[in-house]
Amino acid sequence: MFSDYAAAIVLLPVLAFVLTLFLGKKLYSGGAPLPIAAIAGSFIISLGIFFEIYPGGVVQQSWPWFANLNIGILIDPLAVVMLLMVSFVSLLIHIYAVGYMAHDPAKPRYFAETSLFTAAMLAVVLSDNILQFFIAWEIVGVCSFLLIGFWYHKPSAAAAAKKAFLVTRVGDVLFLAGIVLLYVNMSELIAGRALTPESGNFILQFKTMFEAIPYIDSGQLTLITLLFFGGAIGKSGQFPLHGWLPDAMEGPTTVSALIHAATMVTAGVYLVARTFPMFVATPDSLVHGIPDSLLVVAIVGGFTALFAATMGLVMNDIKRVLAYSTVSQLGYMMLALGTAGAVIGAKAVGISMFHLISHAFFKALLFLCAGSVIHAVGTNDIREMGGLFGKMKITAITMLIAALALAGIGIPFINIGTAGFFSKDMIIEGAFEYGEITGGWGWVFYGFAILAALLTSIYIFRLWFMTFTGKPRSERRAHESPNIMTLPLMILAVFALFFGFSQSGFYPYLETNFELMGVEIAGHEGEALHPSAIIIMLPVIVGVLGIVISYMIYHRRMLDMSKIVSSENPLYKLLINRYYEPRLSADIIGVKLTHDVAAQSGEFVDRKIIDGLVIDNIISSTLFQVGEVIRKLQTGVVQNYAAITLLGVGLLILLLKIGGM
Amino acid sequence: MSYLLLLPELLLISLALVIVLLGLMISDRSKNLLGYLSAGGLLASIVFILAIKGEGSFFYDAFVVDPLSQIFKLIFAVVSLLAVIASVTYFKGSRNQDEYYALLLLATVGMMVVASANDLVALFVGFELASMATYVLAGFEKRNPASLEAALKYFVIGSLSSALMLFGMSLVYGITGYTSIPGIIEFFTTNPQAATGAINIVAMLFLVAGFAFKMALVPFHMWAPDTYEGSPTVVSALLAAGSKKMGFVAAFKVLVLALVAMRADIQLAFAVLAVVTMTYGNIVAISQRSIKRMLAYSSIAQAGYISLAFVAITPEMSQMAIGGGILLALGHALMKGGAFIAVAVVGYMVLSDNRNVKNTDDLEHFAGLGKRAPITAFAMLVFLLALAGIPPSAGFIGKFVIFYSITVDAVIQASGWMLFIVIVAILNSALSIYYYARVIRYMYVLPPAGERIKEPTPYVVAIVLALIGTIGIGVYPEPFIQMAMDAAKVLGV
Repeated sequence: MFSDYAAAIVLLPVLAFVLTLFLGKKLYSGGAPLPIAAIAGSFIISLGIFFEIYPGGVVQQSWPWFANLNIGILIDPLAVVMLLMVSFVSLLIHIYAVGYMAHDPAKPRYFAETSLFTAAMLAVVLSDNILQFFIAWEIVGVCSFLLIGFWYHKPSAAAAAKKAFLVTRVGDVLFLAGIVLLYVNMSELIAGRALTPESGNFILQFKTMFEAIPYIDSGQLTLITLLFFGGAIGKSGQFPLHGWLPDAMEGPTTVSALIHAATMVTAGVYLVARTFPMFVATPDSLVHGIPDSLLVVAIVGGFTALFAATMGLVMNDIKRVLAYSTVSQLGYMMLALGTAGAVIGAKAVGISMFHLISHAFFKALLFLCAGSVIHAVGTNDIREMGGLFGKMKITAITMLIAALALAGIGIPFINIGTAGFFSKDMIIEGAFEYGEITGGWGWVFYGFAILAALLTSIYIFRLWFMTFTGKPRSERRAHESPNIMTLPLMILAVFALFFGFSQSGFYPYLETNFELMGVEIAGHEGEALHPSAIIIMLPVIVGVLGIVISYMIYHRRMLDMSKIVSSENPLYKLLINRYYEPRLSADIIGVKLTHDVAAQSGEFVDRKIIDGLVIDNIISSTLFQVGEVIRKLQTGVVQNYAAITLLGVGLLILLLKIGGM
Repeated sequence: MSYLLLLPELLLISLALVIVLLGLMISDRSKNLLGYLSAGGLLASIVFILAIKGEGSFFYDAFVVDPLSQIFKLIFAVVSLLAVIASVTYFKGSRNQDEYYALLLLATVGMMVVASANDLVALFVGFELASMATYVLAGFEKRNPASLEAALKYFVIGSLSSALMLFGMSLVYGITGYTSIPGIIEFFTTNPQAATGAINIVAMLFLVAGFAFKMALVPFHMWAPDTYEGSPTVVSALLAAGSKKMGFVAAFKVLVLALVAMRADIQLAFAVLAVVTMTYGNIVAISQRSIKRMLAYSSIAQAGYISLAFVAITPEMSQMAIGGGILLALGHALMKGGAFIAVAVVGYMVLSDNRNVKNTDDLEHFAGLGKRAPITAFAMLVFLLALAGIPPSAGFIGKFVIFYSITVDAVIQASGWMLFIVIVAILNSALSIYYYARVIRYMYVLPPAGERIKEPTPYVVAIVLALIGTIGIGVYPEPFIQMAMDAAKVLGV
């Protein structure tokens, strides 16, 4: 019964967007109740659908759009867990925002935009074809642009919005190129009768795409998947397109929590998971037994996980630490798809998605806690915080829970632990098995994953200790946030603590995802491996080690950091300058290459040659002169009109004579 | 035959008569009611057109109901509905509203009769009913000399064209002995030798001239800018968006059928007409400062694009091109109707600033419209972009289908000149952006000349309806493409 209303999942927030935009000013709190009610509706429908289709059911609806394309809904296990997460987290963040944005005069715009964002994100999730997926993906990007630049009067916010839009655009163009290439390939297959979709199936639907996999030329398939992955790199802030995500923290914290932690940035991972059968089917020309595209995914993901974590160590802006942490954790998700995908096949999607969802809970929580702190002390700089534990107990404790989850703390063997403990461990184990199977260089990924886990634990507890313990380092009197803000914190904390226990149901459920679509994904042949005890314990050991290190340095102050944290230290300089990425992307690529070289020379050709010589002198002036002459023909004297009409008859005779000859 | 199929027309005819009677009885002040009554009638008529499925022929086969007639009836009824809704504000307080609405409804009926006509006589009667009614409507502001001038010019050239058309029809009757269209076709197929006579060309030519007057193809367009500019703006909407399509449906019916029979090579003739018309319309539109005049020329240019539908040669592509022409006609009805109503809002705004302004549709008055009348400005923006053929809009889909079918046809025929025509048409579309963008610049970049106004609700309703249609067809074109293709199939080229 709920599945009949699947379209309402998207349409409700769209309606809320329109209403809030036009009527928000007149309503309570800038119209916030509208999106909250709409998204609650989406959540309830998603939940209803989940209970209807669990286990082993899917919802498919499709309408012809034009030509051979369609608009459709596909809710399979993969989509339904995403739907639940997106609508639930978005709901909580909208509630929180009522308190957080209370003093902002532009509330109607804020709630309208986040509502549209939620609609588009839900549309991404339940698309049944790649084109609709892309359209919704672009709307999501536009909303992200609008919301990062929400305080557009701040030059840094405007610049960050621009950067985010332009950098993700690089990925989007690649993604679109992939879609075009896929379409061309599939059209040829259909024209050549190699591929005959059933009636009612459309060309860019996921199921048709998967049917086409065996027929597409393997080189083309690698290219298509890599182009898709290019889109995912942009959206999910993977190296080398990661730079926009930390800058995006210029937006309101709720936006960072919603878009740049829990939902939009995970769309890239979701894209790879969605089209996973295509990635698996790519040829293994580089390393025997490992599909090329998955190898690339693993390399990019693993490297990003470690690379971003190193920068997280030195940032002083509370939100930037979290932003780098997000980039790093997204790297983990990609790593899971890349490594585990190669060894255990379809199960990898479950592992990656499980981390995606548990990350959404604890990272949204971290951001909201950070928002609560910023709300209280009025600064983003953790050097100016400290000693807040007594003043903001709820925030401090919920943030501690989230930090433990991020660090992946739990007790191995008896399986008790935070959400991150379960989800991250599986990824690290997957990387280990990958190393076992490939041997040699394959261990690199495991090394990346373990090292990044250590750094994660250090930076997040550095943040927590500097914020909540020690002596206050600023004058401002902090206070706990209002209930409407702390309530979502507590709900999310419950999920960050206990979500991990759902794993026994989660993995088998997601594993059925591609079977339901009739796609077989074979795992690696051979015995299931049982890693030794030390391997199972190692992630937790490094997690605890990280906490201890942070405790010593930032709480007990046992080490004098001033020597390390100085502009003398080249390593510190490298990190605090973010590997000079902003300089590279903004100054060299943005200003020098794009503006000075490309744009200026384009401008020269356009203005001086095309505009100046061709348009002004030849086309434009001729057209205007002709227009003036013809205008004189329009004398306004009706006799002339009649004469011209008769003349026209004469001309027609001539024309018909010519045509008839 | 089920007479239910005639319900849309019967309803409007009786409503027109009722309105005239009611007008005698009710006081001048309550005549605004008649507008709502007409709108309701048109709405019901639209519902009947859409809801009552089926085909049929009536009155000894002179009047047929088929997909082709229905889609054009839909166009006419929708445009009239938009015009009527807008008229509620435009003619508010006028004493003569009863005559106005009755005439408007009768004009609509006339157009619908043309859409359904299967006989030259029925066609002519419909044509004249619509023309007579619109002659009066164009001059409805009888104290405004511009309106009177518009009506007179329209009437003089219209009569000339009717005479030409009637002459063409009498020649056809003289050659074949039939007035019914299927009869004419049958005559030519059974007497192939009769099909080659030079007299056929003359007959055809006069028919073309008669229809081209309504379609406002160059050089039969001269009346159009003057008439659109001088008429009451809501009537201009009806003329440009609605009655123009009457010429097209008549041309589709007579030319395509009869010319297949006569095997005259009209493609080249229409290609030249189309190219000249679109280029002429676009170039002259550039130098206009009166927006109504600009829209008039733009609608001449659009007529050029639509007439490309006659250019394709291979049966399959020809059918598709005609389908595209019908789609563009439908889209044009919405965007042009909407644009004229937006101009009416600006006129209302200017007059409420200062009662003595003469050129209420001057470009100057559009400055800062985005701030002064945001809904109207946004809708106008969409209409203009749609007219320029920017996706996703009705204007894009129609143009796309036409250009696509001609390109494919050109490739099939290996025909250089057809490809050339498509290129010219695309260049023309680019050219048109110049004058559309200028209006957009005025609306959104230049500072407003006054305070924000309250846009009258009837105008807003009409504009939003047109807006929804324009974007709706662009976003979800499939059912409309299907309708247009079904309609084109009726012609069975």
